[in-house]
Amino acid sequence: MKFLRIAIKDLRTEFRTKGTLNFLFLFAFLSIMLFSATVGDPEPALLWVVFIFAGMLGYSRAFLREVETGTLDALRISPVSPSSILFGKIVYNAAIMLILEVFVIPVFMAVFGIYPKNVLLSVIILTAGNLAFVIVSSSLSVLVIKSRARELLLPVLLFPIVFPVIISTVQAFTMAVSGNLDGIQGPISVILGFSTATLAVGYLTIDYALIE
Amino acid sequence: MIVRLENIEKSFGRFKALRDISFTLGKDERLALLGPNGSGKTTTVRIISGQIKPTNGKLEIFGKRRVDESVKRRMGVVSHNTFLYEDLTGYENMEFFASLYDVDGDRIKELLQELGLWKRRHDLVRNYSRGMKQRLSIARALLNKPELIILDEPTTGLDVEGRTRLFEMLSNFKSAMIFTTHNLQEAEQICERTVLIREGRVVYDGSSENLESVFQEVMQ
Repeated sequence: MKFLRIAIKDLRTEFRTKGTLNFLFLFAFLSIMLFSATVGDPEPALLWVVFIFAGMLGYSRAFLREVETGTLDALRISPVSPSSILFGKIVYNAAIMLILEVFVIPVFMAVFGIYPKNVLLSVIILTAGNLAFVIVSSSLSVLVIKSRARELLLPVLLFPIVFPVIISTVQAFTMAVSGNLDGIQGPISVILGFSTATLAVGYLTIDYALIE
Repeated sequence: MIVRLENIEKSFGRFKALRDISFTLGKDERLALLGPNGSGKTTTVRIISGQIKPTNGKLEIFGKRRVDESVKRRMGVVSHNTFLYEDLTGYENMEFFASLYDVDGDRIKELLQELGLWKRRHDLVRNYSRGMKQRLSIARALLNKPELIILDEPTTGLDVEGRTRLFEMLSNFKSAMIFTTHNLQEAEQICERTVLIREGRVVYDGSSENLESVFQEVMQ
């Protein structure tokens, strides 16, 4: 019956910290909200679930790796401004995101048989949405680096903040795929406005976030 | 005067790491920050190097009240944490930090040769011994020919040979130095002046001679 003791120990730890449960519930609810935004055509939302999941695992690593190895202190003592550190991480994450897109988008389209009527616009919208996601996750990961539960705290903070971008990107991408571009300016404006605002907030707060 | 600290306090939440730290450091002076573990030595040098900000008190470094980029260009920091990227080679690490200080490749070669790392420059840092990593860390800190070098317990993890080699190098340094340690002999050997810290307060500031009797007196 020792396996039961192990399971009970794990459950006790989980109910105390709620780390895994918080992450699972957030991800489950986000998926439901995403699909609800694309009634009758869930594939575009599904593509975003792929990017979000990959991004959640990857984008925060840029800062967290520096914390784990102690090299963030090396950057702190070097003659480099905190905003340069933030922008460096955003550019790095954006490059990783582009590499991911190059491989994932064609595979996804082939597997689900999606052939967008406006290919260029579809890719631009996906890239803009992903870029907004990169900016938000890079900026937020700086804020959680001092926390012990940073890996779990980031998704909890990230999901509600990035949600308008996710919904707008899914809507705009769905329109670009179907070729029905009426009202596409709305979601595109949200993506661009959100990216600019988050970048400005990240720039203004990075000094305080990085230096204790 | 290169560094001046006046009544520096630092709190982390409710914990007061520094309660009252005041001392100065003159040009080309070698100062040991001595104290038991948890006394506040590392917090003090982290404030001087601009990694953290004091909660209260006045810090002046190179005549400035803020540790900005121009101040950081004039100092070098060596810590027990080597501040190196383990998945880059020794040369790539130096190249990266040199780019932040706008230093050219000749200086990298000069330092790696001087510290005996030139032949292993293309090896990943993760394959270096602890002593080699510490030497590379010193090379990184000397890239910009700093006027102030801060050494935060640099002998941690070094064997006797590595320690001897490090002390030989330190004796050749011409710049001002702050050397934190909990070892009385190291403080006496490296620095002419010692500031003794206990529970976040300066309890002695004077000559490094006869430190053992001074230590026993003030720690009682």
